[in-house]
Amino acid sequence: MTKRRNTTLRILIALVAVLCLTSCGGGIQNSINPAGPQADNLSRLWWLMFTVCSVVFVIVMIVLLLSLRNRTKESISELPPQVEPPQNQERRRRNVVISAATVTVVVLFVFLIASFSAGRSMTAELAHKNGLAIDVTGHQWWWEIRYSDIDASNIFTTANEIHIPVGVPVTFTLHGGDVIHSFWVPNLAGKKDLIPGKVNTLWLQADKPGVYRGQCAEYCGLQHAQMALWVVAEPQEQFNAWRQSQTQTSVPPASDSQKRGQQVFLSSTCVMCHAINGTPAGSNIGPNLTHVGSRNTIAAATMSNTREHLAQWIKDSQQVKPGNKMPQQNLSDADLQSVIDYLQSLK
Amino acid sequence: MSHEEAQKAQKTTVSEAELAEVMEREREELERTWARPRGLRGWFTDTDHKAIALRYIKTAFVFFLLGGVEAALMRLQLARPNNHFLSPDQYNQIFTVHGTTMMFLFAVPIMTAMGIYLVPLMVGARDVAFPRLNLYGYFVYLIGGILLYTAFVLNTGPDAGWFAYVPLSGPGFSPGKRVDIWAQMITFTEISSLAGAVIVIGTAFKMRAPGMSINRWPLFVWAQVVTGFMIIFAMPAVMLASSFLASDRLIDTHFFNPAEGGDAILYQHLFWFFGHPEVYIIFIPALGFISPIIVTFARRKIFGYAVLVMSLISTGFIGFGLWVHHMFATPIPQMGESFFTAASMMIAIPSGVQIFCWIATLWGSKLNIKTPLLFVLGFFAIFILGGLTGVMLASVPLNLQIHDTFFVVAHLHYVLIGGSVFPLFGALYYWFPKWTGRMLSERAGRWNFWLMFVGFNLVFFPMHKLGLNGMPRRVYTYLPETGWGTLNLVASIGAFILASGVLVFVINVVWARRAGAIAGDNPWAADTLEWSVSSPPPNYNFHNLPVVQGRYPLWQATEDAPVVRGLSTTKRETLVTSVMDAQPELKFEIPGPSLWPSLVALATGVTFIVGIFTPWAFLAGAIMAGIVLTCWFFGDPNHENKTARETGERSESVPGPRELQPKEV
Amino acid sequence: MSTRAVIDVSELPHHEFDTFDPVWWGNNLLLAIESSMFAILIATYFYLRQNFPLWPPPVAQLTATLDPLPQLTYGTLNTILLVLSCGPMILTDISARRGNRGVSQIGLVIAIACGLSAIVLRGFEFSAMYFRWDSNAYGSIVWFMLGMHMMHLLVLTSESLLLCVWIFTREYDMKHRVDIVTVAVYWYWVVAIWLLLYGIIYFTPRAG
Repeated sequence: MTKRRNTTLRILIALVAVLCLTSCGGGIQNSINPAGPQADNLSRLWWLMFTVCSVVFVIVMIVLLLSLRNRTKESISELPPQVEPPQNQERRRRNVVISAATVTVVVLFVFLIASFSAGRSMTAELAHKNGLAIDVTGHQWWWEIRYSDIDASNIFTTANEIHIPVGVPVTFTLHGGDVIHSFWVPNLAGKKDLIPGKVNTLWLQADKPGVYRGQCAEYCGLQHAQMALWVVAEPQEQFNAWRQSQTQTSVPPASDSQKRGQQVFLSSTCVMCHAINGTPAGSNIGPNLTHVGSRNTIAAATMSNTREHLAQWIKDSQQVKPGNKMPQQNLSDADLQSVIDYLQSLK
Repeated sequence: MSHEEAQKAQKTTVSEAELAEVMEREREELERTWARPRGLRGWFTDTDHKAIALRYIKTAFVFFLLGGVEAALMRLQLARPNNHFLSPDQYNQIFTVHGTTMMFLFAVPIMTAMGIYLVPLMVGARDVAFPRLNLYGYFVYLIGGILLYTAFVLNTGPDAGWFAYVPLSGPGFSPGKRVDIWAQMITFTEISSLAGAVIVIGTAFKMRAPGMSINRWPLFVWAQVVTGFMIIFAMPAVMLASSFLASDRLIDTHFFNPAEGGDAILYQHLFWFFGHPEVYIIFIPALGFISPIIVTFARRKIFGYAVLVMSLISTGFIGFGLWVHHMFATPIPQMGESFFTAASMMIAIPSGVQIFCWIATLWGSKLNIKTPLLFVLGFFAIFILGGLTGVMLASVPLNLQIHDTFFVVAHLHYVLIGGSVFPLFGALYYWFPKWTGRMLSERAGRWNFWLMFVGFNLVFFPMHKLGLNGMPRRVYTYLPETGWGTLNLVASIGAFILASGVLVFVINVVWARRAGAIAGDNPWAADTLEWSVSSPPPNYNFHNLPVVQGRYPLWQATEDAPVVRGLSTTKRETLVTSVMDAQPELKFEIPGPSLWPSLVALATGVTFIVGIFTPWAFLAGAIMAGIVLTCWFFGDPNHENKTARETGERSESVPGPRELQPKEV
Repeated sequence: MSTRAVIDVSELPHHEFDTFDPVWWGNNLLLAIESSMFAILIATYFYLRQNFPLWPPPVAQLTATLDPLPQLTYGTLNTILLVLSCGPMILTDISARRGNRGVSQIGLVIAIACGLSAIVLRGFEFSAMYFRWDSNAYGSIVWFMLGMHMMHLLVLTSESLLLCVWIFTREYDMKHRVDIVTVAVYWYWVVAIWLLLYGIIYFTPRAG
């Protein structure tokens, strides 16, 4: 009997160990693989709590198992009930229970302090005024990204991909476009909700260059699962160059195919929702496509930005992401290829 | 004392044979008086608390199985990345219906039902305080459940999550009737649990056997009463939330419409002001199962009775101060956040203290571990882990990382399945003999436990890790690049082990109903009053109401323990006693079988269902309910007893028990 | 020979007023539920108020902007009526305890008349608001509060009516006397809740 229990216990312990070991891996969407001060703070708080809680858990389990060591095969009705156990025995137990309760209170107090100080160090730096300011608006099911600036010519709008310079605090102002979404890039910071009628703020900073994936964390309807974004953290010069190119209007089509693509784009239903700065297309219902060719992904980080995927997406986006708001486009194959040529040229 | 001697002389006036004869006659009369209508008529008119509670338990268990099937479907879908087993629309309906079912149609009703069955027996009453309200509550609940599943089968299942946040659930983003059905179903089930709460509190306060003063309440009863009060103060919030939502959708009010001054966060406040206490409404009754099981198996009094009671009460209070920790990611003032962090951590103290007291009770006892205790031990392992992750979620900064991820999915299943379902299964094994007269198989019980325990941990432990790795909850699929595939596969395999455990239980029940060992009155040699009557108990529960002599009535009962005499055997009478000291006050006549409650439930049901389509239904429904209630009021409340009462005079004049000497206790 | 001590309860009454009777507890638990419902309703009222710079929001009338504070006339009349209705109800309450059938009947009839008038007046109160339920969030919550309270007035008056018919046509027994006392408690509660709502709906916007 005891042997069997031990085996089960061992299997469980082995399982826990395996899971713990795998938890130290990397990952571009991972809250315990921090790449900035915010996530770093949180990760440290997590490991503190994890360690203390594990110790508490193991101790309680050991005590519980010890309390079961006095086993019997006697039928329960043959064991006389004890309504008044010996006083001294009860007193000893009372002391142990009181001590355990005290330890609980102390542990919780430590957690409370750790939590407050982590929270304070995270919000204190919200005061950064000279950092970068980005407005994010959540839509079903994509992210509208707007870089604000005092200089109006530096303001531009993009979608689903955020570039930030390494080592610079970035303040996000979060707006709800339709329903509630939640902005979450786990490697960089915790999440904040985007709520219609409210404004929420979040700041984060990337200390290591790299690509971090974020995903909507508040259930927002049919395609909640495929509403992701990329944060690209790069050195300041690279960022400046990117920013510079994003503020420009779109590149005019060069090749014949691209020209034809632009024509098809402007004469079809595309313009009902999408904007391409520098052309008559100016609708803000869908993502801004002025520099769509420069983005790494399409469909809110659902697919990489390749010819094949673009074709799939434009022709029948409902197949890829059922329920999304983009209608089917009945383009001839030639038209489709031209449109793709055009879109890919929009660097 | 010559007076006493005279009394003694009187006591000997009844011979053993005479007494037996009188008792037998009384028993027959009681059987007649408390006879239950059978068959189809019984279904709609029977107000016996045991019958209704068992119906509640069976219905809730069916919903538990349905919710389990939905969970299995979700696990199949998530077993590998980019899976197309379910469409996003199907997945979203399934997880919404799964959550709604488990919270509203399984957990709360089954916990209340345990109270409805056991509280009258534990306190020594012949029925609950308001048996007809009880029947009404059951039917309202049943109609709500059927409404949800009918809609679900017709592909009109709600799809906005079990907490249906606005604006997603509002008129703008959820056209059609899906969310309306959800909102109405919420109102239904809340009416039923409010009825349950009033019944349980009324019974525990006023219908106790003499001698069961408030400091002798079984801990089970304490847990049920604390839960009852939590229901009373929490449920109105969600009823308002769902009514506001329904009226926003149906008659164009603007409670949650930011464009007209409404507020999306208001909904979250209203919902979680109910939603967090809800967790404790499910959890506290389970604490009430654990204490009696531990006492029985440890063969000793509970360690720290008063502390346990205080813990239950303070959990009930603090439970109302945590709701904002579901909303840390919304823009709320920081002062508020700090308060809710502190409160959310504080609630770990009473839970911890209870666990310490239980371990102190078990410590050193000679144990013969049977399935009920096994499930309680499983509770310790799982719930403590869930409680610890709960402390992590209470911390605002950490919460912002793990909130709305699979970490939360893991946490909530650890506290709800570990904290409620495991004790519930223990309780089912423990009280099944009382309900049916037969024991469940011990061997199958062990299989049941280990399959559930291993399966459970396989499903939910990896989810902690998935959450930390960035997997948000409520996603119908994920990309292969995320690297979440392996752990999800492990979880999916675990789900089927867990399900097979539940299957073993179902088979065990079916088998035991017919072939289980005969249980006898008190198979566990336990201490509470329900074990003093036959299994299953007679319709009138107690022939002579007992007089309680201590906190552990059956363990402390002396040979010559007094009983209550003088209640009519020809009317449905039970004793009403004072709230604190349980001093006899009234002979309360309990109403018998009646069709009216079912009719009022039907009127309520039609009103709310037709109300989805036209607000005029509420006017029509009010008139309908008014008519039925008027008939109910003017119909003789004890119609069924009339004939018995007319012939009743005879039995009152029977000599014998009346000559037994009354004695003050 | 059997000697078993017993507690003989055969002489106990079947009904008694107030805390003795389970019905009293049932009723008061119900009122606790309703009270927490109204408490949350009131909290909602003040929560929504935060979203409005002016409460109630101004209405653009033909010529000028109007400050649409709820008109006091009907609400005040109703308040006076409801407070006065407690008189006959107290009379009914006391007479039911004493077993004076005649007084109970008179008291109940007057109280029911008050209840019915209050319901009619409530109809006018709705129109004294400058907003419909679907105008804005202010309109929604105020209509909801008035409506919820009106529902209680309706239930209360119907309940009293039923009891009244009973004691006119059937026996004036202990069970129904206990019921009368229970209805009286409900009546006082409905009036007390109204005083609270009256203050909130009519005067908090005026207090700024």
